[in-house]
Amino acid sequence: MFSRRHLLQSMSAGFGYLAFAGMCNERAAAEAASTNPLAPKAPHFPARAKRVIFLCMAGGPSHVDTFDYKPQLAKDHGKAGKYGGSLLKSPWEFRQRGESGLWISDIFPNVAKHADDMTLIRSMQCDQPVHPGAMTQMHTGTAQFIRPSLGAWSLYGLGTENESLPGFVSLNPPSGSSRNYGSSFLPAIYSGSKVGRSSRFGRGNSGESVPDIRNPNLSEKQQRKQLDFIQSLNEEKLKRERYQPGIEGMIESYELAFRMQDAMPALMDTSEETQATLDLYGIENSTTESFGKQCLLARRFVEAGVRFVEVTHGNWDQHVNLSVDHKARAEACDQPIAGLLQDLKQRDMLKDTLVIWGGEFGRTPAAQGGDGRNHNNKGYTTWMAGGGVKGGFSYGATDEHGYEAVENKCHIHDWHATILHLLGLDHEQLTYRYAGRDFRLTDVHGNVATDILA
Amino acid sequence: MNYRITISTMLLLTIGLMSPIRGEEITPEQVKFFETKIRPVLIRECYGCHSNESGNVRGGLRLDSRELTHIGGGSGPAVVPGDLEESLLYNAIIHEDFVMPPKRKLPQDVIDDFREWIEMGAPDPRVNETVEVRSSISEEDIDQAKANFWAYQPPIKHSAPSVKNTAWPRSDVDRFVLAKLEEEGLSPTEDAESYKVLRRLCFDLVGLPPTPDQIEHFAERWKSDPDAAVAYVVDRLLEMDQFGERWGRHWLDVVRYAESTGREVNQTYPHAWRYRDFVIDSMNADKPFDQFVQQQIAGDLMPAKTDEEWAENLVATTFLAIGPKNLNEQNRVQFAADLVDEQIDATTRVFLGASVACARCHDHKFDAIPQTDYYALVGIFSNMTTYFGNPPSEYGTITNAQTRQSSSLMVLPVSDPNPYDKRYTAEELQDLRDQMQEKQRELLTVRRGAVGPNDNAATAQRTRLRLLNEMSALSAKLAVVDKNGNPRSYCMGVQERKKPSDARLLVRGEIDQPAQDVARGFPQVLCSVQPEIERDESGRLELARWIGSDDNTLTARVMVNRIWQNLIGRGIVSSADDFGITGQPPSHPELLDHLAVQFVESDWSIKTMVRTIATSRVYRMGTAYDRSSHEADPDNALLWRANPRRLDAEAIRDAMLSISGEIDFERPRGSEVAKAGFTRVTGGVLGNPREKARQAIQEATRSRGTMRRGMQRGRRNSMSEDILRKVTGQLDQEDAKCRSVYLTIVRDEEPRCLSVFDFADSSTIIGTRETSNTANQALYMMNNRFVIQQSEAFADRVIRERKTPNDQLQYAFLLAFGRPPTSSERSAAAAFIREFAPTTSYRSRGEDTINALCQSLFASAEFRYLD
Repeated sequence: MFSRRHLLQSMSAGFGYLAFAGMCNERAAAEAASTNPLAPKAPHFPARAKRVIFLCMAGGPSHVDTFDYKPQLAKDHGKAGKYGGSLLKSPWEFRQRGESGLWISDIFPNVAKHADDMTLIRSMQCDQPVHPGAMTQMHTGTAQFIRPSLGAWSLYGLGTENESLPGFVSLNPPSGSSRNYGSSFLPAIYSGSKVGRSSRFGRGNSGESVPDIRNPNLSEKQQRKQLDFIQSLNEEKLKRERYQPGIEGMIESYELAFRMQDAMPALMDTSEETQATLDLYGIENSTTESFGKQCLLARRFVEAGVRFVEVTHGNWDQHVNLSVDHKARAEACDQPIAGLLQDLKQRDMLKDTLVIWGGEFGRTPAAQGGDGRNHNNKGYTTWMAGGGVKGGFSYGATDEHGYEAVENKCHIHDWHATILHLLGLDHEQLTYRYAGRDFRLTDVHGNVATDILA
Repeated sequence: MNYRITISTMLLLTIGLMSPIRGEEITPEQVKFFETKIRPVLIRECYGCHSNESGNVRGGLRLDSRELTHIGGGSGPAVVPGDLEESLLYNAIIHEDFVMPPKRKLPQDVIDDFREWIEMGAPDPRVNETVEVRSSISEEDIDQAKANFWAYQPPIKHSAPSVKNTAWPRSDVDRFVLAKLEEEGLSPTEDAESYKVLRRLCFDLVGLPPTPDQIEHFAERWKSDPDAAVAYVVDRLLEMDQFGERWGRHWLDVVRYAESTGREVNQTYPHAWRYRDFVIDSMNADKPFDQFVQQQIAGDLMPAKTDEEWAENLVATTFLAIGPKNLNEQNRVQFAADLVDEQIDATTRVFLGASVACARCHDHKFDAIPQTDYYALVGIFSNMTTYFGNPPSEYGTITNAQTRQSSSLMVLPVSDPNPYDKRYTAEELQDLRDQMQEKQRELLTVRRGAVGPNDNAATAQRTRLRLLNEMSALSAKLAVVDKNGNPRSYCMGVQERKKPSDARLLVRGEIDQPAQDVARGFPQVLCSVQPEIERDESGRLELARWIGSDDNTLTARVMVNRIWQNLIGRGIVSSADDFGITGQPPSHPELLDHLAVQFVESDWSIKTMVRTIATSRVYRMGTAYDRSSHEADPDNALLWRANPRRLDAEAIRDAMLSISGEIDFERPRGSEVAKAGFTRVTGGVLGNPREKARQAIQEATRSRGTMRRGMQRGRRNSMSEDILRKVTGQLDQEDAKCRSVYLTIVRDEEPRCLSVFDFADSSTIIGTRETSNTANQALYMMNNRFVIQQSEAFADRVIRERKTPNDQLQYAFLLAFGRPPTSSERSAAAAFIREFAPTTSYRSRGEDTINALCQSLFASAEFRYLD
């Protein structure tokens, strides 16, 4: 056996401390883990999903025009709604899909083909009727305070499986939304890395990856030599100081960064994908190109071991011109999403990849100005697929017109609890001590919707 | 008779003087009238836009209940029983000043029903039980907390304990720390080497690395008398203007300083910089901290001898106005409640380390702060107007579609113009007005068109939005000049309203659930005697005086703890913004008290406190690791060694600029936001990104004028990259050479050079920054344009100032690390040069190699850490 002293003395390289910690007491081991906060961690209980792709639909897609079938709304078309205005039937037909016979409207013909893999949660609720508040609550559980986002909590709970990539990636986040993928009081390493800008995903670009991803002057070989020099200074310092988690972390960060320089552009470069795959995501079609690329990237990220990927698609906020614009929004993402589901399935990844689709709220059954709908946070629909949820399943319900959830209500806190549960995390146990108290994503709320678990 | 009483009760309620009403008697006939003639119309015609239930609260108006109807919206009460003139609901349905429902008039018989109903006293059965919320925290609980909890006891001046190792301490600070260590059988580690002490002092006091001259002089003095050497340097550093820039920035973290609202509609605060400069100047002047506190909370109410003093006091209140705001909030009442909440949260956490805002929705879960105490403060803060927007022009306040909440500014009592302020000639003014009128006409046309059948509603909507945006920009231009086109000087801040009143407690913090009135006052557990607040005063000045008073048990403790943390790396109370039950107890309570008392006795002098700590032996300790001490005290709470600290974002950037010799110490006037004016930030750009791109391309084309067409592809690419960077990188400010504290801080768009190194989130109160080491930082140091530029300038300087390669290497290390290279560093550098040089092109070999070497020094842990 090595003595502790022996180990301390024998540390010649920067990673000596890890070895030291691994063989000594628990406390030291915990400290060592803190030097690599991204290392994979065991879940609280066996996980059904290993990773998440969150398709965030900004602006509030209308549930009564997409996934919440309301025959009574069509019957009562033109009558006065419960809260004023007159009821507006959906411009789109609903049909039963797949063997399960889930009702989905014609606005999502391709996604509908995967009905038998989906759980529709038709009883969503959140507390905020306005976009920023609801969007932030969907991501962090509260609109009032700045809190870590769902992705940051997931990464904090589970670590990540690819040492060359960040563990939480947010593709194309809208500007000004950084708190929605931020880590707040969790260590900064758990915050989402912003990748790409929507304006650049079209027109033959794969989008910018991350800032400063390549050196304008040095070749890789030159940079490696430079890095070796930097690391030799760092290791020299670590050796002098013996115990310094910060420097240990810094040494690792340089190696990750160096690997990212290759891994990120390689990951963003989709030129090696087959034509069939590109077609699957609708990348050759100008309508679906932008979102298709992002869905493809999302698949490439999770395939590469990234824990949590979020992709944003907007704008669903149709106060006017619902029949045209809602259709256009759906068209831009229908094929890409269907392609993503199919691609994950054919790679046998859907079983442990949780795909989540949803907006910050839904829309009112009553009309606004004849061809529009207003915000509705009292009842709306999100769906999940893969990752341990039932297929072809409908959970909860809104009232006859779709105003508010009346059965098996799924508040956003419950939704969060369920997602964490699927990842093998107990939302009540996943806590972080900050400012003297233990915080959790669900605050003091949240019930797992156990009915949807496969 | 009964009916008259009803009316007068209601009237009192609407002006907010009276406590809750109970259900008044209404006759069955009246109920029937309401249920058949009034309620159905309200549901059908009004609730769509004016109800909590529907989620729409246009104009802040909610008609859900009798009470809410009487409270009304932003324009005033919707219904005043018996008074048609004052009832805006009636005004609106007869299409007088308001037009409701918006697109058509109600039938005359319905209007008549409403008239009759209001005239009969507006009997309305929709009465919410008015509840009186009783606190679960009793007076005994409060008294007990007051009597027992450490932070609520007045600090006592303890005499310094005696210690065994009498040779070690230099001051009482050292005795307090050493005594604790000795109690635990620990001893302080050896002093740090002189260059480390100097490097600490320079970064800690002025945020810059020591110069080679300073290093040399200090080493000389240190040899003969370390105490004198430190004292001398501390005195000199305290006198430098850079001290205020360094310590002002610490304060700006705590007060969530930023130059925009953040959130969805990120609107700029073009005058926030005045507050930034006020903070820096206050630090440099060593303004007594109690006065500094009072100015920020109630500067507008403090007596001022001169206009200059008055102006400064007003600028100080910007503290209350710069918080993040959700301008997209539809509901005016909600917006106002959130604004006050943010102000209470900031005031109590920044100055008192108390999170009173926790009691907005319910009694504080941990501290003895009942919900009523929160609403006692709401009463104080809601009696003021907060100025954070732009003044209205002669055309009023025109906001774009997303901005649902607006605000004005205060005119400074002294004129303080900026070189970049726009001036307009009479013709230019006329032109702006002509444009405005043209747009108004267009808008009218669009609006008229939209009323009739129109199959192109979307286009009309887009046109309308575009016009509103353009009009808002024009109005903003016209608003900030006088009638002759000369700019006026403005600031953000607050002003008291007339006729202060108490606030009502809101059940669960919900605006539609008002309960009893709560008398204005301070959190009971924090004060020994409740203040006397005059009926015609809000109490804010009293609050400011109480917080900034010698007797406050928290203010001095919280501030000395912040100072200690900034110098030692960890607060005596490690939760710097939380001195409540949930916070951490002090590691050295007597020392904290000792420093707090001394702080007050020194007339609240921050510089004196900095000097006290920086000249202590504790500050001078080395960071050497010791296994047994580490095992006994792994967090180093007892300070057996100095905490190694990563430099913060500003220090890293300023040090690179300082070492390269490119730093510009001139204080820039204003900021990028101030120059851009009042505008929305979209896609990381101040103003309209498309417009900016167009301008940048125009400029580039113009400057290309003499160049021939058919440029090489590479050239064109780099030019378009340049343009792109100018547009999208505007807020990164990579070309700026000023100190980091002067970089523009736009919420959610903080410059990359700062955000990558854990810059304080400018939307929250940050007393302690994170210090992470991330791959993004590594990428930044390896590849960022600014870093590469600075490395090149650093290399140039080294080559310029030293001749032989050996001297150059020596000098580069001295500049970057404050010391010459160790022998192994020297051989690592030699190996690097040997390996790297052959990979470069022959012509630029020497230059390329030393550039890469200098960049490596910036990128190293030694540069980034303060040991």
